[in-house]
Amino acid sequence: MRLGPTRRPTPRRTGVAATACVALASVVAGCGLGGGAGSEGGDDEIVIGISLPLTGDFSEPGKGVQRGYEAWADYTNENGGLLGKQVRLVILDDQSNADRVASDYERLINQEGADLIFGPFSTRLVVPAAQVAQDYGFLFVEPAGAADEVFEQGFDNLFYAAPAVADDHYNLLAEHILAMPEDQRPKTAAYATMDDPFAQGTAYGLRDKLAAAGVETVVDEVYPPNTTDFSNIAAQIADSDADMVVGGTQYQDAVNLIVSLQQLGYQPDLAAFSTAPTNPEFPAAIGDKVDGIVSPTGYTPEAAFPENQEFVEFFTEKHGHAPSEDEANAWTTGEVVAAAVEGADCADPSPECQQSLIDHLRENEVDTVVGPLTWDAQGRPQSAHLIQQYVDGEIRIVMPTEQAEADFLFPKPAW
Amino acid sequence: MSASLLLQTLVLGVLLGGLYALLAAGLTLYFGVMRVVMIAHSAFLILAAYLAWFFHRETGLDPLLSLVVTVPLFFVVGYLLQRGLISRLRPATLTMMSVLLTFAIALTIEGLLGFFFTGTQRRINLGYSGSSVEVFGAHIAVVKLIAFALAAAALVALFALLKLTRFGQALRATIQHPEAARLLGVNTDRIAGFGFGLGLATAAIGGTALALDSTIYPSLHWHWIGPLMAIIVVGGLGSIPGAAIAALLLGVGQSLLQIPMGTTWAQTVFYIALFATLLVRPQGFFGGRLAQRF
Amino acid sequence: MPSASDTTTGAAPAGAAPGGATERRSRFDTTLLGGKIALLVVVGALVLVFPQMAADPFILSVGVVIASYAALAVSWNFVGGFTGYISLGHAAYSGLGGYATALFITRADLNPWVALIGGGLLVAVLAVPIGIASLRVRGASFVIVSIALVLILLLVAQSWASLTGGAQGLRVPRPFGEDVLRPEQHERFFYIHVAFVVVALALWWAIDRSRFGMGLKAIREDEDKAQALGVPTGGYKLTVFVISAFFTAVAGGLYALWFGYLDPIFQFSILIGSYMVLMSLLGGLRSLMGPVLGAVVVGYSLEFFKVHYGDSQFHLVALGLLLALVVLFMPDGILPAVGALVDRLRPEKRTSIREMTAEDLLEHNRRLDGGTGTPEGTATPAGSGPGATDAERDLATVPPREEQR
Repeated sequence: MRLGPTRRPTPRRTGVAATACVALASVVAGCGLGGGAGSEGGDDEIVIGISLPLTGDFSEPGKGVQRGYEAWADYTNENGGLLGKQVRLVILDDQSNADRVASDYERLINQEGADLIFGPFSTRLVVPAAQVAQDYGFLFVEPAGAADEVFEQGFDNLFYAAPAVADDHYNLLAEHILAMPEDQRPKTAAYATMDDPFAQGTAYGLRDKLAAAGVETVVDEVYPPNTTDFSNIAAQIADSDADMVVGGTQYQDAVNLIVSLQQLGYQPDLAAFSTAPTNPEFPAAIGDKVDGIVSPTGYTPEAAFPENQEFVEFFTEKHGHAPSEDEANAWTTGEVVAAAVEGADCADPSPECQQSLIDHLRENEVDTVVGPLTWDAQGRPQSAHLIQQYVDGEIRIVMPTEQAEADFLFPKPAW
Repeated sequence: MSASLLLQTLVLGVLLGGLYALLAAGLTLYFGVMRVVMIAHSAFLILAAYLAWFFHRETGLDPLLSLVVTVPLFFVVGYLLQRGLISRLRPATLTMMSVLLTFAIALTIEGLLGFFFTGTQRRINLGYSGSSVEVFGAHIAVVKLIAFALAAAALVALFALLKLTRFGQALRATIQHPEAARLLGVNTDRIAGFGFGLGLATAAIGGTALALDSTIYPSLHWHWIGPLMAIIVVGGLGSIPGAAIAALLLGVGQSLLQIPMGTTWAQTVFYIALFATLLVRPQGFFGGRLAQRF
Repeated sequence: MPSASDTTTGAAPAGAAPGGATERRSRFDTTLLGGKIALLVVVGALVLVFPQMAADPFILSVGVVIASYAALAVSWNFVGGFTGYISLGHAAYSGLGGYATALFITRADLNPWVALIGGGLLVAVLAVPIGIASLRVRGASFVIVSIALVLILLLVAQSWASLTGGAQGLRVPRPFGEDVLRPEQHERFFYIHVAFVVVALALWWAIDRSRFGMGLKAIREDEDKAQALGVPTGGYKLTVFVISAFFTAVAGGLYALWFGYLDPIFQFSILIGSYMVLMSLLGGLRSLMGPVLGAVVVGYSLEFFKVHYGDSQFHLVALGLLLALVVLFMPDGILPAVGALVDRLRPEKRTSIREMTAEDLLEHNRRLDGGTGTPEGTATPAGSGPGATDAERDLATVPPREEQR
C-alpha cells in the first residue's frame, strides 16, 4: 500500500500465474495421491485390495478382521500361495466412513492394481463398497454385512462369508423355546436393540418368530449407536418384569445395558445378547456375573472341521490366543475367495475372470472354518448360527445338541 | 406406566439433570465473560473422562482421585486458552470466530484422543459399578449418586464463589458490564481468563463424574454439545441459575419422554425447546438478556 | 494534520490521485485484468481437460469429490460471505437435499434431474421457517441453532426409518443407464458439478454488484446501522438464506446421485458443515473465487492426509489445527491476502470500496492517526511524502462512515 509509484508488476503477475499453473497441473495429474510406485501387480503375485475401519467408530472389530486377513495371507503364502503365486494384501483405512470406503475401493481397483478384493467391516460400509465392486465387475466376498437389507439391493457379485444372515442368528434358540411345553415357555419378552442394521436384525429375527408363536412383546426399544446411558431403557425393562430379555447389541452397549439392569435388580429367566458375550473381555466388564447369558455365534474355535483345527493352531501360534468371530469371518472370506480362484483357475481384474469366480461360488459348496457354505442368489449363506451360553463362567455351545458342550440353562441363575 | 417406573424415571432424570446443570454452568461462564460459545467444552469433558479412566487404569486407584490433578490443570488450561488464543481474536468478529476456534480445538482434542487411546470404547469397571440403593422402590445406582453429588457440590461451590467472594463480585461485574467494571478498577482481562479457567474446571469435574458410569469414546463429545447448547439458550444466555433450572427441567423431560417416545425421539426435546425459546422468548426463560444481541 | 473524518464525503475520492497517475493506474489495471483473465482461462481450460488428464478413475473420483466440496462451499458462501452469519450446520440442507432427491426418485418416480431441482425447491421452502426462526438471533445463537438443526435432522433421519431407511441407509438409483460405466459416470458428474459451481458463482457475482448485495454487505458490517439506514434486514437475510439453502440442497442432491447411497450419520454430519466453513474462510469469505480455492486446497489436503497418514486420527488433528491457524492468523482468507499483495505493487491506491470490516477500518485509522504523529514513521516509507499519506487517507476513509463512536 505504501510503495513508491513505479513498479513493474507484469513479471510478478505472470510469475504468479505460472506458479498457479504448475500447482494446478500437479493437482490434475493427481500428484501426491498416487499409490506406491510400481504397485501394479506383477505376474508373480496376486494383489488383494481391502478397506477396513482401522480408526473411528468401528475400529475395534476392524482390527480383528485385519488380523484374520493377514493370518490367512501368511498361511496361504506358507503353503504355496494361490495358483502358485504369492498373495499380497493392500489394506487401506476407511476411517469408519461410507464416503471413504467407496473411494478406497476405487483406489484399490484403479491404482493399487488389485486382482481381487475382500469386503470391509460393518453393514453400513458394505453397501457403498459393494456398489463400487459391482460397477467394476469384481467378486465381492465380505466378512461382516449380515443385515438382510444388504442382500436386497440387487448385488449379483456379493457373498457373505459366515453361516447365516443376522435375522437367522437366533434360529436355534427360537426353535428351542417354541419346543418347550406351553407352561414353561417364557410368556413375555423385552427387546432393546441398537439402531444398526446388523444388531437390529438379530433381535428382530428372534422377536418375529417368538411373537408369531404367542410370546408377548412387552418392551421394544431402539437406541441410537452413540447411546451411553441405558438407565432409562433398563428401567422400562425392569418395570415390565419380562420373562426374557433380548439385546440386539454390539459390544459396549450390551455391557452398559446389563450393568444398568443389574443396578435395578432385574432377574429374567433368559437373557440373550448378540456379539458382546463372545468377546473375551466380556465377563470382566460386567463384573463376572455372566452365568446363563446366551449369545449366538457363527464361529467357535472348538468346531471339529479340519480347516478349523489348522486355522486355530496357526492363529494361536501367531497371536498367542484363539481366534474370535471377526478373525474367523475374515479367514473364511479368504477361504471362499481362494476356493473360487482355484475353481475358476484365474485371479485377475478382467470382467471375464471375475465373472467366472462369481459363477463358481454360485454353483459350488465351499468348506470353511465355519463349516461348508453355500449361498442363495442374493448371496445369503444357508447355514445356521450356534447358540452359546455362559456356564460356570465359561462360554459353552449349548445348541445344536449334536455340537453341544453343555446343557442349556433355563431359567438362568440370578446375576 | 406404573408409579414405580415413573418415580424411577424422575430420579434418573434429576440425576442426569445435575450433570447437565454443572456443565451448562461452565458454558454460561464462558459466554458471560467473553460472549464466547465454547464448542470445545464437551470435548474437554471427554478429555477429563479419559484422564480419569487412564488414571484408574494406570494406578488402580479410585478415579475420583484424578480430580486432584485435573481440576487445577484444567483451570490453568482454561486461563491460558482465554489469554493466549481467544483474546487474540478481533473484537468485531469475536463471536463467530471464537465459535470456529473452539470448534477447531474440539476437533483437535478428538483427534488426539483417538490418536493416543484409539477409538475403542472405554469404561471404568469399579467394584461398586453394579450396586444400587433402594429409595421408595426406586433403584439408584451408587455410581450415579456419587456423580450427582459431585456435580451438585461443584455447582454449589461455584455459586458460593460467585456470590460471596470479591473475586466472584468482580467476575459478575465483568459479566454484567465490562466497561463499568473496568472503570471501577477490575482487571477484566484477567477476570475473563479466570472465568474461562473456572468454566473448564467444571468440565474436569463433570468428566470425572461421567467416567464413573458411562462408556467413553473420542467422538462422544458431539453427543453432549447439542443438549448443552440448547440448555444455555433456554436458560437465557449468561444466566447460571437459569442454565441450572433449564438443565434439570430438560433432563427430567428427556427422561420422561423416553418412555412413550423411545430413546432417539426423546433427544429431540432439547432442540424443540431451543426452537420454541427462540420463537417465543429469544432472551431465554430464566433471566439473561443477551441472547438476541449475541 | 488531516483527520480521517475530513474526507468522509465521497465514494469517489479520485481527486486524490495526481493527474499523471491516471494513465499509470489504467496500465496497471489493464495488466491486472489481463492477468486475471489469462489465469481464469488457464484454470478453466485445466478444469475442462481434467477428466482427460486424470491418470485413472480414482483420481477422477477425487476430482468429483473436490468439485462437490466447491459446490457446497460456494453455496454456503451466499449466507456466510454476504451477511457474515457463520452457519456450522449447512450439512442440514445438503443432507435434506440428498434425501429429498433420493425419495423423489424412489417414491414419486420422478426423473432424477427433476427430482434434484424439486429437492432443492422443497428444501428452499423448508428453509423459510427455519430462516425466520434462526435469523431472529445473531451471532452465537445463530451458530447454536445451525448446529442444533443438523443434530435434530440426524435424529429424525435415523428414527423415521420407514421414510429414510434409517440406519440401513438409502440407495439412490443412478441417473444414467447401466451401460454408462463408472469412470464415465465420474466424468459426467465432474462436468455437472463444475457447471453447477459456475452457475452459483455467476449468481453470487450478480448479487455482489446489486443493490441487494450492497444491503447484505451493510448487514455484515453493522446490522443495526443498516437497519437504521432503511435496509430491510430481515427480508434480505431471509432471501439470501433461502438462496443458500436451495443451492446447498442441490449440491447435496448431486452428490447423492453420484455416490448412490445415503446414510444419516454421514449426511447430517457437523464435520461436513465445518468443511464448508473452513473452505470458504480459507479461500476468503468476501471474494467470489475464495470458496472454490478453499475447496481445492482443503479437498486436496484431506485426500493427501488420507493417503499418507491414513490409519490414524491424524486427519482430525490436522483439520483442527488448520482451522485454528486460519481463524487466528488469516481470518480474511488467501485471496484477500493475495489481493493485498497485488495492491502493494499498485502504483497508487485503489479507490473502490474496501472489503474491510468497519472495525478493521477503525483500527486502521487509529494506527494511521498514531503513525502520522511521528514523521517518517515506520508506516510511511521515506520518500513517499505527503502524497502517499493522502492516498492512505483515501483508503482509510472509504466507505463513508460516521467517526469514532
